[in-house]
Amino acid sequence: MNATLAKPRPTGPSLRAVIRAAGFAGLGAIAVVVGLSNVLARQPADMVQAGDPLSPPSQRFPFGTDLFGRDVASEVLHGLAVTVSHAALAMLVTIAAGGILGFVAVRFPLRTGAGLRWLAGILGALPPLFLAILLIGLTSRDFAPVAAGLAAVPLAFIRAYDRSRGLARSRHAEFARATGIPATTLLKRDLVYEVRDGFLALATRSLAAVTITLSTVSFFGFGTAPPHRDLGLMIASARESYFDAWWTALFPALALMAFILCARLAAALDEGEQP
Amino acid sequence: MSARLLTIEELTVATPGRIELDRFSLAVDAGETVVLLGEAGCGKEAVMRVLAGAPRSGETISGTLQFGAAPPERAAKLVRPPLRVAYLSGAHAGSLSRHASVSSQLVRVIARKLGAARSTARAEFALALERLDGAPPPSAFDRPAAKLSARTLAWGLVAAAFAQAPELLLADHALSGLAPMPARLLARALLAEQKRQGFAILYAAMNTDVAGWLGGRVLMMRHGKVVEEGPIARLAGAQAHTYTQTFFKAMVPAPLPPSAPRASARGQPVLQAYGVEFGRDGAKRPGDGLTFELRRGASLALLGEDGSGRRALTRVLLGLDRPRAGRVVLDAVDVGILAEKMLLRLRRRVAMIAGTDDVLDPRMTLWDTVSEPLRAHLKLPRELVANYRDAALKRVGLASLPGDCGVSDLSIFDKRRLQVARAIVSAPLLAVIDEPLRGLDAFAQSVMRDLLRNFRAQEGPSFLVITSDFAVAQALSEEAMVLKDGRVIERGALADLARAPKEPQTRALVDASIGGLSLAPAQG
Repeated sequence: MNATLAKPRPTGPSLRAVIRAAGFAGLGAIAVVVGLSNVLARQPADMVQAGDPLSPPSQRFPFGTDLFGRDVASEVLHGLAVTVSHAALAMLVTIAAGGILGFVAVRFPLRTGAGLRWLAGILGALPPLFLAILLIGLTSRDFAPVAAGLAAVPLAFIRAYDRSRGLARSRHAEFARATGIPATTLLKRDLVYEVRDGFLALATRSLAAVTITLSTVSFFGFGTAPPHRDLGLMIASARESYFDAWWTALFPALALMAFILCARLAAALDEGEQP
Repeated sequence: MSARLLTIEELTVATPGRIELDRFSLAVDAGETVVLLGEAGCGKEAVMRVLAGAPRSGETISGTLQFGAAPPERAAKLVRPPLRVAYLSGAHAGSLSRHASVSSQLVRVIARKLGAARSTARAEFALALERLDGAPPPSAFDRPAAKLSARTLAWGLVAAAFAQAPELLLADHALSGLAPMPARLLARALLAEQKRQGFAILYAAMNTDVAGWLGGRVLMMRHGKVVEEGPIARLAGAQAHTYTQTFFKAMVPAPLPPSAPRASARGQPVLQAYGVEFGRDGAKRPGDGLTFELRRGASLALLGEDGSGRRALTRVLLGLDRPRAGRVVLDAVDVGILAEKMLLRLRRRVAMIAGTDDVLDPRMTLWDTVSEPLRAHLKLPRELVANYRDAALKRVGLASLPGDCGVSDLSIFDKRRLQVARAIVSAPLLAVIDEPLRGLDAFAQSVMRDLLRNFRAQEGPSFLVITSDFAVAQALSEEAMVLKDGRVIERGALADLARAPKEPQTRALVDASIGGLSLAPAQG
């Protein structure tokens, strides 16, 4: 029998890598749109009576106008910019107070880290939305981005703490300790590699989580106050007109969905809204 | 004349840029034992993959396979062989899920292979275990793989293979990574069951010891080709091919070193133990406390099987665990009175080289792994650190690899050498060497032995060698303590222990490592 060569199976990037690339591409595109929002928007933010109230999408107003005659397309661009900037701030709070603190807390003396883990476990059992509203109530509406970031901290803390504890108890860490490598060197080693390998994943997961919290807080009226309107507030203010003028809520909702979806894709659809 | 069971014709396996197996042909008769022998990547793994029907992604395969009297089939076409083939992997191969019950996984495989109900397969598995002399009871396999020792897991895998009533047993490094005693016991079990069931064995091995135990026909492989073929009895005595000669020479245990010069044994004590009691409380008697000292430049082997208490003793000696009683003095400092921070400083002069992959951080790079002890312990300029690092990597033969290469990308042998490089830059007083040759092929073992001897000769650390292989102890130490059930049962010079062991356990360890070609009747 003549021998014949079998066709090699094609090799290429994994599905996970493709999903992540698509997510980052989407986030990059959104970042460009946000950066150029003042240029791309035809009307300044909160410009009333730009046209007739509740005009349907047309050549002049591609996304139509709202109850006050504001250009919905321009408002979506401005709202997206506010949402993205607030979400970025909230994400940094989550990373700093949740990710990094959780990672370092394992090495705290006198069971302080274990105590913090216990506290995070209790706070993590509460819905982040209620935590955010509580924190805003204790401070002010301007505090909303920080409150949304802090509300996501317990879950980020737990995840980072458990990961760090696994590393601290690993064979290679024990091997290093047996040869006199100090704890600070091991911590530095873990931080360097976790920031390198895990920072983007934590950042994108947190971004999706805090965006949902921030937008919901705004939708309920506890978040951003006019004249700065984010997408959550825009959807809330379209409640009156939504059933007669669908475009007033649909386009802000689509923009919000696109942003959250891109963040989740960039996190390779890892954990839904958990940071 | 025995019936022909398997015929492989012109089998070629290629990956982009590399030919793994080059026009390989082989015929195996019923009841025959054939050992494919060679270092890692010589092509035997490719043969096993094709026969097991599990080629790698991207491999191109050509040639034909013929099972029994069935017509030849293209090897590239993944056929279900018309005879019962059992695949036996090693306990370290990770072929089982770590978190599910081992017995349920094995029973599922047996049931599928036999086309029988799970209850029947479970009964077959239990029967196979019963037939194996020294095997654990079936209930021992109700736990997840992660919680079983490699030795127990190996018994389970072997019993599952036997329960499939195979006509051909594909053993892919099945005894690799096991200590000599259990490996020899399992080899004996393989031969006994082969005699009972009459199956053929095709064994992929990287060391000559298994070939010796199993006997039969050996195919010496290199770069995807067979360079020499013959019965092990002949090959062990006279090899025709230069490569075979080198391979067998690499496996010959090193000759006993001459008595250590008295001066080296009279250096300053590095490690002293006074009445140390370690491990769990059970079965300990008063007076079991261990007293010994290890002097600068000397080497002591802790010999014993897995679970004999060697590692528990080492942890106590390094101050990682407290002894139940007694005192440990490391570099003239009583470790029992030191705070953790001071202990850590003391342990800077300790290096460790272990026979497992997970002792190096897989996230680190080659350069970082070697430089870390220097950066952590000494405030040296970068250039000096780089010089020490490069010199150490050059000595272990890793200088040609890119410095940013990740540890996870390295082979087992490279990881082992990297540990030696890390130990070299630490300039240790004491090096703990834990099963340094386990899982390596013949050449790699030979290189590691030389590296460790060279390390000891040049840097002069004391060696504490943990091993279950008497030959390894002989190669790296002059004296040994034999441990069993957490107690030292015999101690003395290795030459004396080899000549006249007093305890049966010591004799078993000596026999398992040096016993040689005696298990199998001559074939072919």
